Amino acid sequence: MGKKAKTIAIWVALILVFLVSFDLMNADEDIYPEDFSVFLEHLEGGRVGEVRANSNELTVTLWDSGTRYTTLGVVDEELTRKLSEQGVLLTWGEESRPMAMLLSWGLPLVLLLGVFIYFLKKAQGGTGNILALRRTTARTISESSKVTFADIGGAAKAKDELGDLIDYLKHSKRWVEAGVRLPRGVLLEGPPGCGKTLLARAVAGEAGVPFFTVSASEFVEMFVGIGAARVRDTFETAAKQAPAVIFIDELDAVGRRRGTGIGAGHDEREQTLNQLLVSLDGFEHHKDVVVLAASNRVDVLDKALLRAGRFDSRIQVPLPTRNERRETLEIHTRGRKLGDSVSLGSLADKTDNYTGADLESLTNDAARLAVRRARTAGEQEIVIEMQDFNRALEPAQARTSRFTQLDSAIIESASQLAQPTGKAIVRLELREGTLVEGELVWADATFIKVRNVADATETIIPKYQVQKLEALQGTELARAGDVVGDRWANRMPDLA
Amino acid sequence: MENWLFARLTFLVPLLLSLSVHEWAHAWTAWKLGDDTAERLGRLTLNPIAHMDPIGTLLLPLLGVPFGWAKPVPINPTRFAPSVNMRAGMMLTAVAGPLSNLFLAALCLAGVALTARLEAGAMSHFLEIAFLLNVILAVFNLLPIPPLDGSRVADSLMPRRFQPAWDGFAQLGPAALIAVIVLPQFLGVSLLAWPVEQAMGLVGAVRELAGS
Repeated sequence: MGKKAKTIAIWVALILVFLVSFDLMNADEDIYPEDFSVFLEHLEGGRVGEVRANSNELTVTLWDSGTRYTTLGVVDEELTRKLSEQGVLLTWGEESRPMAMLLSWGLPLVLLLGVFIYFLKKAQGGTGNILALRRTTARTISESSKVTFADIGGAAKAKDELGDLIDYLKHSKRWVEAGVRLPRGVLLEGPPGCGKTLLARAVAGEAGVPFFTVSASEFVEMFVGIGAARVRDTFETAAKQAPAVIFIDELDAVGRRRGTGIGAGHDEREQTLNQLLVSLDGFEHHKDVVVLAASNRVDVLDKALLRAGRFDSRIQVPLPTRNERRETLEIHTRGRKLGDSVSLGSLADKTDNYTGADLESLTNDAARLAVRRARTAGEQEIVIEMQDFNRALEPAQARTSRFTQLDSAIIESASQLAQPTGKAIVRLELREGTLVEGELVWADATFIKVRNVADATETIIPKYQVQKLEALQGTELARAGDVVGDRWANRMPDLA
Repeated sequence: MENWLFARLTFLVPLLLSLSVHEWAHAWTAWKLGDDTAERLGRLTLNPIAHMDPIGTLLLPLLGVPFGWAKPVPINPTRFAPSVNMRAGMMLTAVAGPLSNLFLAALCLAGVALTARLEAGAMSHFLEIAFLLNVILAVFNLLPIPPLDGSRVADSLMPRRFQPAWDGFAQLGPAALIAVIVLPQFLGVSLLAWPVEQAMGLVGAVRELAGS
């Protein structure tokens, strides 16, 4: 019903209410009290048409003028005889008027109820709607933002395993016949930026079943119990539309091992985690609801989450390999015009350790630089050339090159450890001026471990403290007598 | 028997309709001047439900309290079109309500004149009540006491140097209003007696003129 129609309907209804009440109001208005003797006179004169007796109150209607009046009297045998002689209609009891009864009883009731509801609503508005907080915040992905596996470069193994899952959701019969049980939970793990969330969205795009996405941090709320209630509601909503997929992003936000942190034992997060564990299996068994989760901190997850029957299927989404990087670059440059100079293969070579997100950002930077170059050159067409990619790579390379000088020495030394050409002896000059000399035992991205040759004590030194590194023996550099680290040392703290 | 209820209902219905028009007139004027605050809140409508206050519009009149109120229409003068002076705009929106009631009263009086020759019935009764109500609403709302529309007209018309004193009075507004309503009752006079008498006289005169 339109707004205008509603307004008109209400006006009409109100006017009807007016007409009815006006009628009822006037129904008794012209009745006036009269003496009994006058009634008797009227009766003798044959003017009485109707008498209604309600105990000792008589309501009299005269048939000639239609006048009505009340009088007090008793309808005894004689009166009854007289009335019947004259053919007067005699009725007993109170006049029943259903409409009046309805209005006089119903209206106050409705009014009271209305006021009650009004106050109830008002009171609720003040404190905010608690019930709404308990509802799931999970969203379904809209058609327009769907991605498919074709949009994701690399991650071949993850695609394979997720492909099975999608096939199960689509053609469950085949799998059930083969006696395969659908995994309860699938955990995507891997470093940030490698496409875990993207893979999940691709599952949503390809599975063709309802896909609920929720971030685990949305389960963490100010009020105790809200998180657990939301988990429950998420699973219930999904179960109603089974088969369905629930995707929980950043699972470590609630999945952190229990019994850690301040006030360990029982806090909101643990309660949420417990509810998640129960929802994943346990008595509320919603079959055909697959839980997909992503985390880059699988090491801190609660063990109960990872056991069989919960997140029993773990899919690694590692850093992309060279070929996968190439594939990813191809996807990201798909809609962009590339110059002949661009070789995605050599770019893939250069971008070791880059994640998918890094590669996306690299192509975007290159495109941005190409636009800038075209603008300064006054060119109309924007073509991304290799020089753009190289310039986009520069900041990252400057960052890594500072390591490489020292690292090449260390790695070379370390590689000597494996070869029986003798120990690699190095001398380190630290920033505070101390000198450490000894056999290089081990080195990683941040620390160097050196064993003193004389007393066999071992020292672990943070790399950023190293001012100078001299390789004394056992390395190529030692033979050349080179000193590395100078250029690099003073700038280290910001990288450590 | 239940007569009191029906008598009050016959009074409540015209009241509801008149108040809707009154509040709608505020909202409509503001909207025409460029302020869409009321429109966005769904108050630019003749629907009584949007304007009524469960207590002030329904409960009190039904209980026979000769006083009530509707939900006020919010006006944001800063949203008026740039060409509209804010003081003038405020005054216009404030005066629109009582003016609409005067207009309705005139309409009802015309209706009374047209139906004068007919036998007295629901129609003429309705028109008479509506006429009286609208006269009362217009006069009462034009009282220059703060929550009422008249105060906003006074506010806009008064020289700015009176503003501080006026603001002080505005704080006492609700109390002053209650005093103005209650005190005459104790004194045995009615504030609205004179306009009501005049209005009744007018109805009688129109009846006679049109009926003869």
